Amino acid sequence: MESHPDLTASVIRGLGWLYLIMAVMNLFWTINVFQSGKAYESIAGFKHIPKAAPWGLYTIVLFMIGIVHVVFDSSPADFQFLLPLGFKNLVDVIIANPISYFAVSMVIFVAMIWLRKWWTKPTVAWVLLNASMLFLGVSMTDYDFRQIVGKPDNVPIVGMLFLVGFFTWLYFYKSVENDRRIAAGEPKIEDEQSEQVLVWPDLVYTEMICMLLLTALLIAWGIALQAPLEEPASAVKTPNPSKAPWYFLGLQEMLVYYDPWMAGVVLPSVILVGLMAIPYIDFNTKGNGYYTFEERKFSIVTFLFGFLPLWIGMIVLGTFIRGPNWNMFGLYEYWDVHKLEVLNNVDLSQMFWVDWLGKPLPRPDANASTITQIRTILLREWLGFVLILAYLFILPPLMAVTVFRNFFVKMGFLRFMVLANLILLMAALPLKMALRWAFTLKYIISIPEWFFNI
Amino acid sequence: MADKKLTTEEILARARNQDASGDGGGAPESAAEETPAEGTAAAAEPVEAAPKPAAMPSSTADILAAARSQGKGGEAQKSAPAAKPGSTADILSAARAGDAGGRAAPKKPAAAKPTSTADILAAARASKAGGGGGEPARPAAAKALPKMSATVTPAEERPSVADMIKAAREGGPAGAGALPPKPKLPSKPPVPKGKNGEETSRRSFFSVAFGWVLVPFAVAWVALGAVATVWGLAAARFMMPNMIVEPPTKFKIGPPSDYPPGTVSTKWKAERGIWIVNTDQYNGKPMIYALASVCTHLGCTPNWLEGEQKFKCPCHGSGFYINGVNFEGPAPRPLERVGLKLAADGSLEVDKSVKFQEELGQWQDPASFVEVS
Repeated sequence: MESHPDLTASVIRGLGWLYLIMAVMNLFWTINVFQSGKAYESIAGFKHIPKAAPWGLYTIVLFMIGIVHVVFDSSPADFQFLLPLGFKNLVDVIIANPISYFAVSMVIFVAMIWLRKWWTKPTVAWVLLNASMLFLGVSMTDYDFRQIVGKPDNVPIVGMLFLVGFFTWLYFYKSVENDRRIAAGEPKIEDEQSEQVLVWPDLVYTEMICMLLLTALLIAWGIALQAPLEEPASAVKTPNPSKAPWYFLGLQEMLVYYDPWMAGVVLPSVILVGLMAIPYIDFNTKGNGYYTFEERKFSIVTFLFGFLPLWIGMIVLGTFIRGPNWNMFGLYEYWDVHKLEVLNNVDLSQMFWVDWLGKPLPRPDANASTITQIRTILLREWLGFVLILAYLFILPPLMAVTVFRNFFVKMGFLRFMVLANLILLMAALPLKMALRWAFTLKYIISIPEWFFNI
Repeated sequence: MADKKLTTEEILARARNQDASGDGGGAPESAAEETPAEGTAAAAEPVEAAPKPAAMPSSTADILAAARSQGKGGEAQKSAPAAKPGSTADILSAARAGDAGGRAAPKKPAAAKPTSTADILAAARASKAGGGGGEPARPAAAKALPKMSATVTPAEERPSVADMIKAAREGGPAGAGALPPKPKLPSKPPVPKGKNGEETSRRSFFSVAFGWVLVPFAVAWVALGAVATVWGLAAARFMMPNMIVEPPTKFKIGPPSDYPPGTVSTKWKAERGIWIVNTDQYNGKPMIYALASVCTHLGCTPNWLEGEQKFKCPCHGSGFYINGVNFEGPAPRPLERVGLKLAADGSLEVDKSVKFQEELGQWQDPASFVEVS
């Protein structure tokens, strides 16, 4: 008997219930489609096939698969509904590499915006929901996937991903519809829904029902999944991996690329201050009180970029992919403490002096005067200082006369500078990541003597 | 009606009452006589007794005036408006009055002073409801404070505050029949109106005022002293924390032969937070040194990976060579050494109170390592 079995009887039965639930969901969907009365004109010679037919077929297949799971009672090793090994390996290779991980998340992000008119169609969205649930269900047949996704800490993250997906879809669904109406000169959805309701009883009742349902859900959850308590804390024993609370995993991922002073203090403050500054630097008066994408492209793309790939994406990375020694592991990969990843990196000053000039790195003489030491340190790091200052002070004016010309004209100097610096600081994270991956660069400015590293 | 000398407060209070109670002070008698007809029969007599139309005290000054006049005892109260209790001061003064002269209460049990918040509220509501005309307010107000107008006991016999509160609490039930003892006192005030306040002497006024000013000061100072004492004790306790005494920063770890070349000893990590390393990979010379097991990135405790020959931090993936120099992940500087020397008895002695940072050139310091041959 394998100590880490991919399948056990209880897993099979649980998956059976998942498939049955999906079958029921799709049964309702099929009925809904059938009642709409739509039909394909012609498929493979058959005329007038109702659109509900493929959905009905899919529902029946789900029912059968679910029942097979639930009634299966021979050895789990004989069970055949498994994830192909080739698929697992492919996913692992893509996921466990930071470059491909962020490349994929950026592709998804661009596709989400580019194809918004397509994927917000209810049918497509339903297909996507089914696909994600099937992916989750079939992946559960893998031991390592089950360990990491089924961990009581991580279950809420899975739920959160579905919620993020739903609300992103909801936003795009409404804004695509509104954009179409605006283009056609029709009234917006919100204009047609101007009917007002009362706080009491309409809102209060809704809130009360939500409260009751949520309480019931939390009680059931608290009984079903035990709180993931660990051994008593010890100053000398750090769990491996050591993870921040899920909502801070974005920060923890930033800390991989930045000094604690930058990633723990400066950048989080910039995030907060930047979010607060949005009302003051936003000069676009449109989009007030209704969903729209076309009228607020810049703001929405900027926000979603910061939120989805850089925040949610890093929470996913930190939750499911970072393993022992903070190495990256594929979804179906065993968490090997001794997984060897070569992550050697060097500072820019090291590259400049040692690799390019072939000189030893200038080191401040401990016996020299303070002024001399400072001069030596600044000489050592001059290239980094030039680059950072150029990034923060040369780029904004360049942006003002090129790509952000309109913005500069509309916003005025001060507001534009705030906007430009906020954008540059947000871009600093992906840029630093790319530099780390591409050039094994550790710090652009590295002055450990002063605890000043960028 | 007011042919006595009035204090400023009383004048003010009257002026306010007249303003507030609509029908003015010109018809007090008729107003008082009307009162029973208003329906609060039980409260009738005290109201009748009240020389002034009952009106709400409209300010603290009123309340004080009322309290003072009662404090002076005798007929002084008669001049006080039959105020409804508006505050703790009212209740206290009522209690005082009740204690002193409240023997009249048994006769009118229903007109007992307010026994509960509900009563007070009811009185307040009733008087507010009638605020427009002034008269409807009277019954309720009178009901709330019948004894104010029935007091005759001199102020010198004033009871303690505790007694007053007690009396205030028990006043209702006692007045409701449990306390029949003093029927001798008339329920009607014996003193006719118009003479009220004539016996007010300046001395008693000043002594009372003095007391009113001093008592809060005394209370405040006692409270301050008590708080300061508690704080002082707490601070003293804070100086002796309930803690485990830290092990001494200097300790012996055995002879150098316990740490063979090319090894990292983790046996002191859990207890003392150091690794003992014997290697020649820093500057070619074989040496033993002690590394603090604290990551220079964010302070987690790295692990020594024997197979990979590196220290690896589980928090953000920083890696350090065996010599302590950082080479991967975000750690900006090498691990820190702590002091190490060969003691006179031939064993190594660690001194955790000093640290040596490579980037500051401190690893050259002979106190940071022990050379081995």
